[in-house]
Amino acid sequence: MLKIDNLHAQIGDTEILKGLSLELGAGEVHAIMGPNGSGKSTLASILAGREDYEVTQGSITFDGVDLLELDATERAVAGIFLAFQYPVEIPGVSNINFLRTALNSIREQREEAPLSGKDFLAKVKACAQLVELDGKLRDRSVNEGFSGGEKKRNEVFQMAMLEPKLAVLDETDSGLDIDALRIVAHGVNSMRGADRSFLVITHYQRLLDHIVPDFVHVLAGGRIVHSGGKELALELEEKGYDWIVDAQATEQA
Amino acid sequence: MNEVAAPTQHAALAARVSEACSQAGLVGEPHAEALAALEAIDYPTTRQERWRYTRVARFLEVAPSAPADLTAPPAVVGNLEALRFTFVAGQYINGDVLDEGADGCFAGPVSLALERYPERLKGWSKSDFSTREWFAALQASAPQDGVCILVPEGKSLPRPVLAHHHMPDGVHVSQPRDLIHIGNNAAAEAILWSDNAAQSAGMLNAAITASVGDGASLSLEIVQDEPGSVHHMGHHHFTQGSNSKLTLRTATACAHWLRNDLHIVQDGTHADSTFHGCYLPNGRQFVDHHTRIDHAHPDGQSNELYKGLAADKSTAVFNGKIMVHKDAQRIEAYQSNSNLLLGEQASMYSKPELEIYADDVRCSHGCTTGQFDKEALFYLRSRGMTETAAHNLLVQAFLAEVLNGFRPEIRDHVHAVFSRRLGWN
Ligand SMILES: Nc1ncnc2c1ncn2[C@@H]1O[C@H](COP(=O)(O)OP(=O)(O)OP(=O)(O)O)[C@@H](O)[C@H]1O
Ligand SMILES: [Mg+2]
Repeated sequence: MLKIDNLHAQIGDTEILKGLSLELGAGEVHAIMGPNGSGKSTLASILAGREDYEVTQGSITFDGVDLLELDATERAVAGIFLAFQYPVEIPGVSNINFLRTALNSIREQREEAPLSGKDFLAKVKACAQLVELDGKLRDRSVNEGFSGGEKKRNEVFQMAMLEPKLAVLDETDSGLDIDALRIVAHGVNSMRGADRSFLVITHYQRLLDHIVPDFVHVLAGGRIVHSGGKELALELEEKGYDWIVDAQATEQA
Repeated sequence: MNEVAAPTQHAALAARVSEACSQAGLVGEPHAEALAALEAIDYPTTRQERWRYTRVARFLEVAPSAPADLTAPPAVVGNLEALRFTFVAGQYINGDVLDEGADGCFAGPVSLALERYPERLKGWSKSDFSTREWFAALQASAPQDGVCILVPEGKSLPRPVLAHHHMPDGVHVSQPRDLIHIGNNAAAEAILWSDNAAQSAGMLNAAITASVGDGASLSLEIVQDEPGSVHHMGHHHFTQGSNSKLTLRTATACAHWLRNDLHIVQDGTHADSTFHGCYLPNGRQFVDHHTRIDHAHPDGQSNELYKGLAADKSTAVFNGKIMVHKDAQRIEAYQSNSNLLLGEQASMYSKPELEIYADDVRCSHGCTTGQFDKEALFYLRSRGMTETAAHNLLVQAFLAEVLNGFRPEIRDHVHAVFSRRLGWN
C-alpha cells in the first residue's frame, strides 16, 4: 500500500531524511520509534504533503500512485490522514463546521454526494463516542484552549470521521493520561481492518501494549536503522537506542 | 472674492449637486453655517493627513443625469420584523410611519417630522462635521430626506426601525440625512441600510446624526451593500449623555468606493460606546473607515473592533482616533483593528491615533495586518479541504467576531454577500 524508497529530504540546507526506506502492506500496523530529532515528524509531515520540505531523492508510492505528485488536499482525498504531534488551534472555526467542511470537500473531490445533515450528525455521534470526546469539545473552536490530551483525542476523533486508508499517528500518546491512552488505543484498534494501515510514531512501548504493531522500526539519523517484530519495542525500552545506532555506525565504517 | 474668475472644480461640483438635489426636493432649509463652511473649507487632497490615502478627485467628475426613477426597490431582509421606510435617491417612497403624538415616539421620514413637529427638530441639520468637512458641508447645504427617529424620555420603540436607502440605475446624486434622537432613559434599535442598483453611479453623500440622552440606549446596525459604482461618503455623528449606551455595528458588505467618517462624542460621565465594523474590498474597490471617539468626561468606556480583508487590487484604510480630554479620568478605551491581505497587489493602511490628556486612564490599541496562518492552512488542507475551502473557512472565522454581533438575519445576509463576492460557495 505504501512504499518509501531511499527518501532524502531537506529543509533549507539541512538534510533531515537521508535515504529512508519503508514498506507498509494493507491492514498492517507499523510502529516507528527513535531518538528526538531523528526525523520522525519530518517523515510524517512529508507523507501528509507539507510543502516546507524539499525531497531531493527517492520516491513514495501509495496504492501505486506517486504520492510526491499530489498536494496536501489530494493526499487526504486519496486516503492519507496525519494525526499531528502538535495539532493546530483555529479560533473562530467550530470543530463541527470544520469537520463538515472537510468531509464534504473530500466527498466532492471523490465525486460523491455530500452527507445529509442527519447522517453527518449520526456519524459525529458515533465517532465522538468511540473516543469518548466531550460533547462540548465538538462545538468549540478547533483545538482552541483544548488541553494536550483533548487535542490528541480530537485528532483520533477526526481520523474516525475521515476513515483514511493510511493513518499516520505522530506521538498521539504523548500527553495522554492512562485512561485516555486506553480510550485512544481502543479507538484505533476498532478501526483496524484489512484495508487500513497505520504508521504509529511513539516514544513509549506502553502504547504498543494497547495497539499491538506488526512491525517496529527504529528511525535514527534520517534512516530506518533497524526493524523487528513487536518484541523490539520491549528491547528498546530496556536498552535504549545506543546499541542499534552504534552497531549501525560500526557496520557503515 | 473675484466675481469673474471661473469657479473652481469643486465649486462647480457643489453647484451641480445643489441644483440636482434642489430639483429633486430639499428637506428643510440649507444650513447657513454649512453654506459658509463650504466656501471656507478646502477641498480634500492627499496632502492632508486625514485624506492621505483617500483620493476624492473622482467626485469632481460626477454629473447627475436625468431625475432618478423612483420605483421602490425590493425589500431587504424580508424576514425581519421592523418599521420599514424606503428612500430612493434621497426621496421618501413609503413606510410604516409611527406617530404617537407630540409627547410620544415618532418614526418616519424627516420631511414628515419637519411638517408635524418642527419644534422637536430645532437645529437638526447641525452636525460637527458640517462645519469641518467639505463633503459634510455640501450635504448640509442641500439636505435630502432620510429617516427620523424621535424617542422621548423614558419611552422605547415598539419595534426596530429599518431605513432602506436605495440608489437606482443611472448617474445620480443623493444627500440623505438620517436623524435619531433618543431622550433620557429611552431606548431604540435601528438598522440603516444603503444599497444600489448594479448600473448605478454618481454620489451618495449621506449623514447620520444621532444623540443618545442620559441613561438612554441606542443599538444601530449600518449595512452598506452597494454593488454599483457609486462613490459613497458617509458622515456618522453620535453624541452620548451620561450613563448612556451606544452599540454601533457597521458592515461594509460591498462598496465600489466608500469612506465612512465616524465620530462619537461622550458628552457625559459613565458613557459606554461599542463600535464594531467589517469590510472586505476586492477587485479595485476602495473602503475607508475613519473613526474618532472623544472621551470628554470621566468614567466612560469604549470598545472598538474593526476587522477587514483586502483582496486583489483593492485598498482598505482604517484610522482610529481616541481622544481623551483633560478631565476624562478613569476612562477605559480599547481599540483593535486587524486585517488580512489576500493578494500581492492589495493595500491596507491602518493607523491608530491616541491623544490622551488625562492621567488616570486605561487605553489599549492594536493593529495587525497579516496573511493566512500557514500552519492552520496546512492543517485544514491535510483534512481534505481545497485551498479555496480552507481560505473561506479562515476568512469566516476571522470576521465572525464582528459579524456575530449583528442580528442573525443581517449577519446571514452580509455573510452571503461576502460569499458570493469572494466565490466562497
Ligand atoms: N522547519 C525546520 N527548520 C529547521 N530544522 C527543522 C525544521 N523542522 C525540523 N527540523 C529539524 O529536523 C530534525 C528532525 O526533526 P523532527 O521533528 O522530524 O524530529 P522527531 O524525530 O519528530 O523528534 P521528536 O521525537 O522530538 O518529535 C530536527 O533536528 C529538527 O530540528
Ligand atoms: Mg516529532
